Amino acid sequence: MTETFPPPGFIPTASAIPGIAVYAPAPEEAEAQPEIVEFKCPQCQAMTAYSVADGGLRCTYCGYYEPPTRTLVGKGAQEFEFTVETLAVASQAHGWGEARKEVQCQNCNARATLPPGRLTHTCPFCGSNRVLQQDAPQDALRPRFLIPFKIEADACRPIAEKWLGSSWMTPKSLKQSTVAGFTGIYLPYWTFDAVTQAEWKAEVGHHETRRRYNASTKSWESHTVTVWRWESGQVRKFFDDVLVPGTARLSGVLLSQLQNYDTHALVAYEPQYLAGFLAQAYDVPLEKAWEEGREAMRAATRDTCRGQASTSRIRNFSMALDFSDESWRYVLAPVYMTVFQYDGQPYQVMINGQTGAIAGQRPVDWNKVWLVVGAVVAPGALLTLLGVLAIVLGLLLPPALGAAAVLLVPGIILLIIGGIIAFTIVGKARRMSDV
Amino acid sequence: MSESTEWGTEVVIAVCPHCDWRYLVLAEKATLRCPHCFAADLEPVTEGVEQLPYVRPPELVTPFTVSKTTADKRIEEFAGGIPFAPRDLNPAALRSRVQPLYLPMWLVDGDVSATWEAEAGFDYNVVSHQERYSDGSGWATQQVQKTRIRWEPRVGQLERHYDNIVAPALEQHAALEQALGVYALDDAQPYTADALERALVRLPDRAPEAAWADAVPAFQAAAGEECRQAAGADHIRQFRWSPTYTNQHWTLLLLPLYATYYLDDDGEPRPVLINGQSGRVFGVRRASMQRAQRSALVIVAIAAVIFFLSLVAGVAGLAAPPLLVVAGSGGVLALCVGLGAIIPIVRAWQFNRKPVETL
Repeated sequence: MTETFPPPGFIPTASAIPGIAVYAPAPEEAEAQPEIVEFKCPQCQAMTAYSVADGGLRCTYCGYYEPPTRTLVGKGAQEFEFTVETLAVASQAHGWGEARKEVQCQNCNARATLPPGRLTHTCPFCGSNRVLQQDAPQDALRPRFLIPFKIEADACRPIAEKWLGSSWMTPKSLKQSTVAGFTGIYLPYWTFDAVTQAEWKAEVGHHETRRRYNASTKSWESHTVTVWRWESGQVRKFFDDVLVPGTARLSGVLLSQLQNYDTHALVAYEPQYLAGFLAQAYDVPLEKAWEEGREAMRAATRDTCRGQASTSRIRNFSMALDFSDESWRYVLAPVYMTVFQYDGQPYQVMINGQTGAIAGQRPVDWNKVWLVVGAVVAPGALLTLLGVLAIVLGLLLPPALGAAAVLLVPGIILLIIGGIIAFTIVGKARRMSDV
Repeated sequence: MSESTEWGTEVVIAVCPHCDWRYLVLAEKATLRCPHCFAADLEPVTEGVEQLPYVRPPELVTPFTVSKTTADKRIEEFAGGIPFAPRDLNPAALRSRVQPLYLPMWLVDGDVSATWEAEAGFDYNVVSHQERYSDGSGWATQQVQKTRIRWEPRVGQLERHYDNIVAPALEQHAALEQALGVYALDDAQPYTADALERALVRLPDRAPEAAWADAVPAFQAAAGEECRQAAGADHIRQFRWSPTYTNQHWTLLLLPLYATYYLDDDGEPRPVLINGQSGRVFGVRRASMQRAQRSALVIVAIAAVIFFLSLVAGVAGLAAPPLLVVAGSGGVLALCVGLGAIIPIVRAWQFNRKPVETL
């Protein structure tokens, strides 16, 4: 028993029975969050911004440095359950408000109107940074954690240029193009944890060699048959930090290529981290994102179940799957974005602000592509054509039929291989330019 | 001693000279057979009554809900199905000796002041999913709600009065409870003198001071439940407190029981008890080895007679050979019947191998 009563941190609470006093831990006081946090240097009143190199606020004029007050939480970042109340609130809410926000710069009095979901603003007239902290319908639905930028903006250009020059499909003149103007932005992500418990059963095919007596040839012959047997099993799979983008405004394909974030680097949210960057609130609600997360989890669980079968020949596969220990977080993840112009067309490029992974659209030199496709398909086509001609000739000169076979067989094989390679090249080229 | 004020009727204290169990009985029933050992008749206590411990009037009585007719049926079930049952183990004898009896339990009231701490559990619902997949129809999703418990620390102070906390008043309480099952104490009613009209009351052999150790956990359980309600919680665990007890008041709760007995092979009384609330029966069901042996002897005697007659037929067969067939058959029959003599003994032995229930 505690020696002092009530223990420190406990306050009286309602009791349903007279004669019994009840004390509960005092609720954590929500930090008073100013609606708009402005970042000014306390020494020279110039603007301050988050410095990726230093990991804190840095004044670009006098060099004043202010370290962040929050610490690394990593995988230990608080997770939330799918309570009925949270889902009800989250289904109505969309990030931090729907309405457009009008802000007035306290430095130069310029007014600006921000689109819905925008969490930061840099005054276009004086360059001062501010972070908007509007009310969320539930505390859990604020961004509580974020992955800070690790890649500096200056590093983006060489990464992008190397990437642009890494494919032979891009136009030669692209290498001389300038890909600059990368903007750092914190994008909303949902992270999901869950355990899947599945039971499966399926008919699994096994090849068996059997011998039978052929009466016509009067000999024993071997033949292979597929024998189907029922198999079943159980799978328990733990999913940790499955990331689902919280925005539908950017290409899901590009985002999925950038999604190798390390959540060990999660830190508690602090507006300083956002100073000087753009930040976007979620527009994909929790339930919809969880649906996407569940789809990924159940597909992975199904693959594991099928992998348990003793062979890969499976039919009539069925499984029952239970989710448990489901939890979620709303986090912000760093991305650099830019759009470059080539031949009058805009192309979007994104770089993972933590790992430097890059994804984006690139122009394709289709002349080059078709030339390569032609070169790949031509040998097979030529040999096949010669083979056909040799067959026609063989109708007049039967010895030519032998040469026809020699030409036709490798010709068709080369044609098939060339076709597959050509199909792959064209598909890749289309994906490069059309994301 | 004759008491009329506290008990509402004329009662005396009677003691069994054989087992020393003490009872409160109506004056006219003071010479009944002891319903515990059934070895001696009760004797009224006339001297030193003041020194007898724990003679306190009851506060509550759990009524007999098993009627005499039902108890008789239970006795018939108890006495039935025993091969070579002792001669005295029959429904008629058991029924004729049935004696209603009340067993005592202590009831203690008291004031408690304490500080307490516990973990209070609050139910909440989360949304989960169950999915089914088959190659033919793809995925089918079902949303389900699961209830989970959120545990939060709570501390508090308590100033409460608790009534009728129960504690065993007999040293054999645990054994009796194991034999007869747990009584549902919620059915208890205030004591009236009518209770004594139909049954004897066993007096406690355990002092309140000794029973207090058993009452304390019951106080704690009652307080824990009240603290759960006070905190508005659905569950409580890790309840700890530092209580101070005052104003304790001890009374009795009476539990109903039917007691009867039968005499075994050695003439020793064997008790048979019936829970007066649930009808559960407890007693020793044993086959009589004496009766089995007697049956075996009768069979052996019959075999001997057949053998003798076969011998006679054999001698006569020397003169009239067809009689030799009769003699041979008789000899075989005598052997078979003689071997059958073992059956009663084996049957009784097998029945008695079952676990013996004793109190």
